[in-house]
Amino acid sequence: MTREGETKAMFRIHIRGSIEAVWREITRTDAPIPAFFNSRMDVARLARGEKLAMRTPNGKYTGVVGEILELVPLRRFAYTFKFTNFDDPPCRVAIDLAEKDGGVEYTMTISELTPGTKSAKQMLQGGVLIANTLKHVIEDGRPSFGTRMLFTLFKLMEPFSPARCKSEHWPVS
Amino acid sequence: MAHPDPDLVFTALAHPARRRMLDLLVQAPGTSVKALASHFDFSRIAALKHLAVLAAAGLVLSEKQGRTRRLFFNPVPIQEIHERWTDQFGAFFAARMTEVKQRVEARASEKKHA
Repeated sequence: MTREGETKAMFRIHIRGSIEAVWREITRTDAPIPAFFNSRMDVARLARGEKLAMRTPNGKYTGVVGEILELVPLRRFAYTFKFTNFDDPPCRVAIDLAEKDGGVEYTMTISELTPGTKSAKQMLQGGVLIANTLKHVIEDGRPSFGTRMLFTLFKLMEPFSPARCKSEHWPVS
Repeated sequence: MAHPDPDLVFTALAHPARRRMLDLLVQAPGTSVKALASHFDFSRIAALKHLAVLAAAGLVLSEKQGRTRRLFFNPVPIQEIHERWTDQFGAFFAARMTEVKQRVEARASEKKHA
């Protein structure tokens, strides 16, 4: 078991690409990150201890907030993760990269999840999509057709987001 | 060639004990090797061999916590196989069909045990 009352999940995928390209993709702040549900990462500074927010591409809404726990270039990016529309406690996400077999081994570990919460359900379902989308983006240059359709749906649903998710409530600085 | 080799994934899934191991890890992520092996009649050595097959296929990931090795199910290789033959529309309708099957069978099971 993991720690009592908590659950943990691990997702791993091999990506044919350079470790620099994968690192750039998961830490970019200049454009939406397809692997992270096409959200734009907002940080005052990409450094340990800084707040981060995952916002819609136009910046109006914020789906996730957290704090950077570890940032080891080309190796590890770890942060706390909390959905803004749920009252669940934050969990932790750690992304580890390693060069392997001419590509990159991408491992995402989600820990301190409270079983039975909406956050736990979303995170456990989302892990596979995140890993697969990142692979498609690095190897093919863009997400799969189905994932692109999902992003279109997100855009259409954006006006129905709860008021509590408005970015003005979730500053990073 | 895909990584891991899909042959390794199919081989890993072809054994009932290994499928049961995945079931147990889905139910209890982070189970230790010892605890997982206790669910089976065969020896711990045999359990380790089965786990090695699952790990080679990328279906089981492990993490050291002190002296204990914790095991986790990695669903990604199965998703990759799923994507190979299933487009988004097929996936949508297939998912609806399996939902109906599960609901009907669950109701039938409830009635049987009532």
